[in-house]
Amino acid sequence: MTNTNIVMIGVSTGGPIVLKRLFGELPQLDAAFVIVLHIPPGMDYRIAKSLASVAAMPVALAEDGDYLRSGQIYLAPGGFHLKLEGNSRIILEEGPRVNFVQPSVDVAMKSLLKPLKRGRMIGVILTGMGRDGAEGIRHIKDLGGTTFAQDQESSAIYGMPQAAAETGAVDFVLPPEKIGRKLVELLSCRLGEQRLAPAVSH
Amino acid sequence: MNRKVMLVDDEAMIREAVEILFQSEGLDITTASGGEECLGLLKAGFRGVILMDVMMPRMDGWSTIRRIVEDELYEGNIIVMLTALEAPCAKMDGLQEYVTDYVTKPFDTNNLLDSIQYYLSLLQTEEDGP
Repeated sequence: MTNTNIVMIGVSTGGPIVLKRLFGELPQLDAAFVIVLHIPPGMDYRIAKSLASVAAMPVALAEDGDYLRSGQIYLAPGGFHLKLEGNSRIILEEGPRVNFVQPSVDVAMKSLLKPLKRGRMIGVILTGMGRDGAEGIRHIKDLGGTTFAQDQESSAIYGMPQAAAETGAVDFVLPPEKIGRKLVELLSCRLGEQRLAPAVSH
Repeated sequence: MNRKVMLVDDEAMIREAVEILFQSEGLDITTASGGEECLGLLKAGFRGVILMDVMMPRMDGWSTIRRIVEDELYEGNIIVMLTALEAPCAKMDGLQEYVTDYVTKPFDTNNLLDSIQYYLSLLQTEEDGP
């Protein structure tokens, strides 16, 4: 089990541009970022390179067996489901599609375990078709994590963020820039001093 | 530089307006009046950004994308849905991975052009290149 702060981001249609906006504004932070974007194989490395060109943190395509490192951004490759073993080791599985997609945000988020040590867990659902990630965000909330959904106005499609928000398990509904600011705030404050705002804001 | 864009729309006036607009921005744009013509252009070797209208007679945008995937014509392309519909329907289930963006009409021209330029740059990215 890891001590690393984990930020897991689920996103689909409209994702490449919103991820660029979000990571273009984030400084180096003390967390491992895991992005599950609905993309086919052959598109994943293009997105990773695009993100690397704007992000303050290094970006890599997630590889089976890799251990998460803080300050690194991992993008799930197309054609596999991504899971985390012990909140730290990346597992890539073929398996059937879940919610019609592969990789599935729900599969990735539901593989997270309650942190045994002091590690912050954050779930984010950004723009996308369908409702993948709704169960996952509820799972992260149940584990004591902090949860975000992109707001309707800034979403190319308010499908996944809406489904997440409707679970009642989302702490913040915000545009990407404000999600970024909140992530900086959360990952900069000392553990144990956090105050989670329960209200969903529009 | 590969700057190819394909607009798939059954309305001739829209095809003409977008064609003039994009040509003035230096984009190499080709148009298709429906899904069948789009598939024909892909089979003939088109690779680039495809702007796909959803509501079209005979074969709608979603059915066209299904055919693109089934016929293994997706590789090397990025698909952007261009639609007046606010909410996507169940027809899009299973197509999430292949629809990179979804732009609602009336669209902001500058935003759309910026997005297209970005997607064209993504398509130029080499797997082992910088």
